[in-house]
Amino acid sequence: MTVARMLPLIVATPLFGAAVLVGAGRRLPRAAAEVLGLLFAAGTAALALAASAALPSSTARPVEWVGGWRPHGGASVGIVLVGDRTGLGLATLVSLLVPAALAYAWRYFDEPPRRHAASFPALVLLFQAGMCGFALTGDLFNAFVFFELMGVVAYALTGYRVEEARAVQGGLVFGVVNSLGGYTTLLGIGLLYARTGELGLAQIGRALDARPGGPDALVIAAFVLVATGLLVKAAAVPFHFWLADAHAVAPTPVCMLLSGVMVELGVYGTARVYWTVFAGPGGIPAPDAHRALLALGALTAVLGAVMCWQQRHLKRLLAYSTVAHTGLFLIGLAVLTPEGIGGVALYVLAHAGVKAALFACVGVLLDRFGSVDEHELHGKGRELPWVAGMFGIGGLALAGLPPFGTALGKAVTEEAAGGWATALFVAVSAVTGGAVLRAGARVFLGLGSRPPGSPEETTGEGEEPETRRLLARIPDSMLLVPTVLLACALAVGLVPGLRTAVGGAADAFTDHAGYLAAVLDGRTTEPAPTPAPHWTTPGVVWGLLATVLAGVLALLAVQRPVRGEPVRWTVPLRRLHSGHVGDYVAWFLAGVTLLAALLV
Amino acid sequence: MSMRLRLWVLAAGVLGTATLFVLACAELPGFGGTWHPYGDRAVHAALARHTANTIASVNFDQRALDTLGEESILFGSVLGTLVLLRQTRDERRLPPEPARVAPPVRRYALIALPVTLLIGLYVVAHGQLSPGGGFQGGVVVATSLHLLYIAIDYRALERIRPVGLYEVADAAGEAGYLLIGAAALLTGAAFLTNFLPYGTFNTLSSGGTVPLLNAAIGVEVAAGIVVLLARFLDQAVEIVSGRDEAEDET
Repeated sequence: MTVARMLPLIVATPLFGAAVLVGAGRRLPRAAAEVLGLLFAAGTAALALAASAALPSSTARPVEWVGGWRPHGGASVGIVLVGDRTGLGLATLVSLLVPAALAYAWRYFDEPPRRHAASFPALVLLFQAGMCGFALTGDLFNAFVFFELMGVVAYALTGYRVEEARAVQGGLVFGVVNSLGGYTTLLGIGLLYARTGELGLAQIGRALDARPGGPDALVIAAFVLVATGLLVKAAAVPFHFWLADAHAVAPTPVCMLLSGVMVELGVYGTARVYWTVFAGPGGIPAPDAHRALLALGALTAVLGAVMCWQQRHLKRLLAYSTVAHTGLFLIGLAVLTPEGIGGVALYVLAHAGVKAALFACVGVLLDRFGSVDEHELHGKGRELPWVAGMFGIGGLALAGLPPFGTALGKAVTEEAAGGWATALFVAVSAVTGGAVLRAGARVFLGLGSRPPGSPEETTGEGEEPETRRLLARIPDSMLLVPTVLLACALAVGLVPGLRTAVGGAADAFTDHAGYLAAVLDGRTTEPAPTPAPHWTTPGVVWGLLATVLAGVLALLAVQRPVRGEPVRWTVPLRRLHSGHVGDYVAWFLAGVTLLAALLV
Repeated sequence: MSMRLRLWVLAAGVLGTATLFVLACAELPGFGGTWHPYGDRAVHAALARHTANTIASVNFDQRALDTLGEESILFGSVLGTLVLLRQTRDERRLPPEPARVAPPVRRYALIALPVTLLIGLYVVAHGQLSPGGGFQGGVVVATSLHLLYIAIDYRALERIRPVGLYEVADAAGEAGYLLIGAAALLTGAAFLTNFLPYGTFNTLSSGGTVPLLNAAIGVEVAAGIVVLLARFLDQAVEIVSGRDEAEDET
């Protein structure tokens, strides 16, 4: 079977698994349902890995017209899947992280729905199918369909613990804001369809290129509207509000997937749509796209880092760290070169491992002690040395300790971005990594003093464990998964073959004309090669500096007495994150306006 | 965030978004033109495959992968509802009470039920020929069963509605669509290729795999809607919170 033929199966396999689980659900005992879910998820991962391994080169673009609707003269009525190294690589990342999350959730939940033990693995399989489809499709409307599939399943997974009102509220906020994003994307697709009569990324791109000379209002509006939906998923400021609320309440294995891959798929979607549709002569001029992405990225990175430092609820802390890192990814995209894309790709790969591992550690704390509050847990983690080690290593990797893949990705991205971006990268890495280390030092080492209680804040005390009761002994699966994930993040920085593959993938990803020719004309063209991402001395030095800074920040923070009230200048910022859906909708519309203003 | 600030942000956002959208709409092609690149191609492709209803050809042949995604969205929504509306530890079930129904309502619903069911099945079966198809017909079929709730009471509906069976049917519809799509791989064609003979134009057996995929959707939608409504109705009629049981029983 050719690589192209395998592409639809990467989507179909988890869907079939979900159907089997739901169909047999009432008769399946819980263990069988979980094994079956794991098998289908791992089978999909095997397919994706096999397809990746069978790619003839890192710049190859196997193209599959579903239903056999090959184009004639560049026109087709069908849907195309494109298995280039980037899309297939992301599908592989998703498919590897899903079995990891399912293994972590092994016999995890307190109360599976009565007679529906299979519903959690089935939902996760649907989530996997949505994410893989989104990564592989070469059709804008089809991308929207998979975007919605991801969304619908993610809302349900977020609100999974319905016994708690907060879980329902978090799922609802997530659903409202992401649905609004879906509507704007659909409006944007409608505008593009009205102009071009096409729905495929390559077809729309070619039709726009037939009318060169600056974009008119329709093209700008279409880009803004399509990108808004994707940036909501990516949690870029000011579309990011849903993320922390959802992460705070979602079950830990779901957080691993949301922060590890789903948010990054929003970044990927933005980049994919820009490079295939809008990067040609009829699209958005490069300086405008650069300005918009850079401004949003810098805003997101700074706000995410400031909010991250302020949190004591560990899941919210990690959630805001994801926001900050999304900002860094967007700055990398804004460079609009293969170097920037290559750096972001490596960063995303390693970040998925590190962030999922950190969430896994927090999940252990939640199920052992029934709390995710930094102060409440003070010193309690001493009895969990292995978890402590992983949490600490995760914090260091997040800050950019070489030779972790996060450090490599950061180094390559900041070098591509250049100038003040380096300072921003170091600062944001140090603050987000430092926040994790600070929490780790308090929880696992018992450093610093226990603070007085402050009832006004979202503290993370009094949370319900996600397991049947507080765990007396941590199951091996919950320790093994984060260990493997951290090892993978380390491997991203160390395996040289991965760097050359990512380099080629980035060259192909940013080759607008090459993508159009490969999809519509079946013509293979080699993109202009650029040097593959690699370790540089300045990159290592900046990474070490950020790590040291993170450590210093953490130590300073734990030595100072904890104040009951938040720092004064952050109060207005914290008030913006009110948990009020109406506020989030207002900011969403303001964000559309901001994005449009940045582009004209 | 204060009400004042909220309203200012909202006003700025609405104004900016509306301006952007209005300016974009001014650039749209004029209404009623003759330039329909996709439509022309889709009609041509539908006729070439002997599918009289072009929409069905787009849904189940030309863009069958979109339909798979949409079917999965419904499937995921039903599953998600099942999870979110489950009976939790602090809730319990009360058997539903028999209800009195006004005779005209009962007569109407009992007459409408078989007619609605028949129309639903007809709409599903003729998806490849006339407007409608699995999505629309499936909803009509599911609605017809619920007329029993209106005509008699919830216990009558529960008797013809073993939710477990409908869940299996829901999953079978989803799996069936995938299996028909994968069957094309055995013939050496791409996933979801229309590999069956196209048949005689404008007859029930025309369109190759279109009627089969359409039927799979019909089963999935009808069963999915029944399960979906069952969850909501259970919450409304049967499941009560343990704490407030005295109030709920009155």
